[in-house]
Amino acid sequence: MSNELYLIPFFIYIFSYALILPRKKKLHKFFTILIYAGFILQSLIFFVFLSTKGFNASVHIGWFVFFNAWLLMTVIVLFGLFYRAEYILLYVTPLVAVNLLIGFFVPHIKIEPAMFSVDKTILLTHIILILIGDSFFALAFMVSLIYIFQERKIKIKKSLKLFDKKDNSLDEVFHSGSGYNLELLDNINYQCLKIGFPFITIGIALGIYLSSSLFNAVIVAKPIEIISLIIWLIYAVLLHERIAKGVRGKRAAVFNVIGFLFILFSLSFSFYLFPTLHGF
Amino acid sequence: MDILIIGLSHKTAEISNREVVSKKLITSELRYGFSKELLDLKGENGRNLINGIVVLTTCNRTEFIMDLPSCAVKGEPHFIRGFIAEYFFGAGCRDSLLYVYLNNDAVRHLFIVASSLDSMVIGEPQILGQIKEAYNEACDFKTTGQFLNRLFHKTFNCAKTVRTETKIASSPVSVSYAAVELSKKIFNSLGEKKVLLLGSGEMGKLTVKHFLKCGVQNIYIANRTKEKAHQFIEDAFGLNEKECLSVIDFSEYYKFLPQSDIVLCSTGAKDYVLKYDDIIPIIKIRKQRPLFLIDISVPRNIDPEINKISNVYLFDIDDIGKMIEDNVEIRRQEADAARELIEINVKEFMNWKESLNAVPVIISLRNKVKNILETELSEYIGEKKEKDLIINSLTNKILHEPTMLIKKAYLNPGGLNLIEMIKSLFNLDLEDKNTGRQDNGEYRNSEKQDGRSRIKIIK
Repeated sequence: MSNELYLIPFFIYIFSYALILPRKKKLHKFFTILIYAGFILQSLIFFVFLSTKGFNASVHIGWFVFFNAWLLMTVIVLFGLFYRAEYILLYVTPLVAVNLLIGFFVPHIKIEPAMFSVDKTILLTHIILILIGDSFFALAFMVSLIYIFQERKIKIKKSLKLFDKKDNSLDEVFHSGSGYNLELLDNINYQCLKIGFPFITIGIALGIYLSSSLFNAVIVAKPIEIISLIIWLIYAVLLHERIAKGVRGKRAAVFNVIGFLFILFSLSFSFYLFPTLHGF
Repeated sequence: MDILIIGLSHKTAEISNREVVSKKLITSELRYGFSKELLDLKGENGRNLINGIVVLTTCNRTEFIMDLPSCAVKGEPHFIRGFIAEYFFGAGCRDSLLYVYLNNDAVRHLFIVASSLDSMVIGEPQILGQIKEAYNEACDFKTTGQFLNRLFHKTFNCAKTVRTETKIASSPVSVSYAAVELSKKIFNSLGEKKVLLLGSGEMGKLTVKHFLKCGVQNIYIANRTKEKAHQFIEDAFGLNEKECLSVIDFSEYYKFLPQSDIVLCSTGAKDYVLKYDDIIPIIKIRKQRPLFLIDISVPRNIDPEINKISNVYLFDIDDIGKMIEDNVEIRRQEADAARELIEINVKEFMNWKESLNAVPVIISLRNKVKNILETELSEYIGEKKEKDLIINSLTNKILHEPTMLIKKAYLNPGGLNLIEMIKSLFNLDLEDKNTGRQDNGEYRNSEKQDGRSRIKIIK
């Protein structure tokens, strides 16, 4: 029954999008209200089950997907409030909805069987840190996509309706925030990178430690380790370039998109495609 | 009561004629003096021709919005027009320069003007502020009354509805404003950005003014003749604005490029002032921070190839022009929707106005019923404190539906028979039917309207 409850915030998120389609200005504020309501409900469900069932009983792959959805939504809401940019809610909430749906359908496999020899706390810390880092990068990914499209629009000067704030309902939502501009999008990208990178670095380091404990070797050339190191390298290069050379804008956005595609690949690899190769 | 608007605008009169009128109404004292003269106009029966007046003066129009007693709808509007024409253009002048709108047409015209459908640039926001200023001034002069108050509040309401319900004001239609709007798509906050203006043309001046309005604090101006740049600042900007402006040598503008976020080029040079190879090192020094270039000069002064550089955005006059063309078209399309909204508002106001005609009948009927109740009830309840309360309450209850019926009857062309029937049935003595109007005629001086209905001016 617990997993079915996650469908309530899922449907709230989906329904909130139905409010934008009629292009009625009055409905737009209800879109935001509904998204926040969905988030509050999602948080309640998450914490109520965590406290009633206990942490150990809850931990399975489905739980981690729900946890990822909740983390991502928290990051979206916080960034949306901080930057007063509602378009973040508009664009990134579908990712959360998809996560909730995956969490509902994913087989609820316990994570512990292969982990007799390692400390379970380290394992959970590894997963949680990776998921926190991934949430920030997920936001950066969506913001990067917006940036790339928006920058393209401005460069080719094609879509002149760009300046017609009330032309469509989505623009209405954009402009109810503090604005929809390249500098802000790039700044959000940078903040996501700065916050997400330490989490993912420690997470990967713990993963390597767990791997070495499990296979009794410091470096085991397993695919997941190679993918993880590629991801880390992409974000490390991006962070270095941003700080040292000031790389920003479209190039940084493209880096973010590539990095997150690798993350998606590694997550599906870890949880769905070859869970045994990950070590569980 | 009737509404009369007499005026002239950019559509009906040349600038030379508009100048003559606006010069004679340039100060509030002059406007007050002229309002008084109009209010003192007497009809054949010795009564005032005009109950209230609001004088609206803008650079494109001058209008006198007047409230006349009902009896003054025959030759009086033309007499007033003649008086106004003579006042401004002298005896024997052509009063055809002035348009006249009465009642329905007048209300519609005022709503159209306030909604900026009659402006030179459709959808421009200043006109509503100017009407609010004119109304507030008339409140100060005590030349408005209940009727004009209601009319103007309805006008502001209608204009607001038009602005919010349609896209008439949603898109920029001037090059300078569009340039600023464009920069908002690239930069988050313009306050901390630096603007470099190359050349000091008229378009540059307007754009700089828009940037200043948006909070830009640092604007460098480079002109080949430095004195001209100083003169440019001196002529066009106020004291506070001047603090944000600094003149630099044209030969040194290149040094300011790395720190400038927005470059506005409006020089008269025949060749490119900024070339592709100039910008490549600049963007490296800027550590890839975005650079927005606006080229509003013809021939173009910025190499179009520059737009290909990453994080550099170049818009020339044609790019911005195309954007504005689209927006003008959007506004034109929206004007039709706006007119529909205005018609609804005109109908609502005229209904209210028509319902005012019912007031003497309603007052008379209420007095009659009250008198009967007072006479009959005095025998039973004597002079108790609650007597008035009971009588009023009973009157309200008895006359609620008849009152509504009378109001509706005045809105209905066939309803006058019903009114006559009510008068006969109750033997209503309407000798004092003008009382209401006389009272209304005196409302100008009443305390109630003294500044209390003033409108906050939003600029």
